[in-house]
Amino acid sequence: MARHKKRQGLDEDLPALDISSLIDATFLLLIYFLVTTTIQKRETDLDMTLPAAAPSETPPDIDPKFIKIDANGAVSVGAGAAQIPMDTDPDSRDLPLLTADLMSYASAAKSAGTNSKPLVQLYVDGGASQQRVIDVLNVLAGVGISNVTFTDLIDP
Amino acid sequence: MASSKLRGSASTGEEELKIDMSPMIDMVFLLLLFFLVNATAIIVKQDPKVRPPVAANSLIAQDGKGRIVINVWNDGTFTNESYEKIENEELITELVKKEKERIDLLGFKPKLHLRGDKEAVFKHSRQVIRAAAKGGVDQVVFAVYVTDK
Repeated sequence: MARHKKRQGLDEDLPALDISSLIDATFLLLIYFLVTTTIQKRETDLDMTLPAAAPSETPPDIDPKFIKIDANGAVSVGAGAAQIPMDTDPDSRDLPLLTADLMSYASAAKSAGTNSKPLVQLYVDGGASQQRVIDVLNVLAGVGISNVTFTDLIDP
Repeated sequence: MASSKLRGSASTGEEELKIDMSPMIDMVFLLLLFFLVNATAIIVKQDPKVRPPVAANSLIAQDGKGRIVINVWNDGTFTNESYEKIENEELITELVKKEKERIDLLGFKPKLHLRGDKEAVFKHSRQVIRAAAKGGVDQVVFAVYVTDK
């Protein structure tokens, strides 16, 4: 009986850490972060290198592809009389006709030789929307064409 | 001499009711880990007035080093990363030159991070690209979203 009493006394004397304040602080921080958090969409990159960055000594074996974007969003390929209208619906993000044309151009460049990296010259009307230009750059990135130049960059 | 009722209440006082807080702490740590894992590093400051276009073939940004950020609002206004307005093309060139010097000293390759609004007309973006080229920066990164949602 006496031994039992001694043990009980020891249990009562054990040091105990009061963690309630820690939990209070943790919840406070959690609520602070929940309240102040703003969900932001993640932006991604669409890279482009201006031709001045990689000047070529030798002329390429394959002719550059000329793409024109009109102010109304119509996309056409080729210049002058050889101009072929491609995708005209400015609300369509896919540009299937241009994609098919660029794929055949890229494969032709591949089979032409080592000095025939596909090159695209873009003429963009000043009134064309940023989204439309990005649509075309998106197709180029999808096809794997990275050599892109804006023909009217120097003198718009 | 205490009554039997008083003695009874004293004896129950010794057996204190305690809440087991361990599941609560577990839950808090779980939430904390969830937020830590979900958090993404900020590449550049994003001006909320600019809504970038959508491009499905874009790539996730690896790092924010060497980026010179220019925002183009849909009305053609230019701002820098601190949302300060830039009045004209010459000032963009000046900014690019200054930033290029700073980035070169750090040993990174400078690139123009162009955040153009999807409804802005392209002539404004072209002005920025041209000004950056004059400032000696020919790498251009268009800020886009992967999807509309």
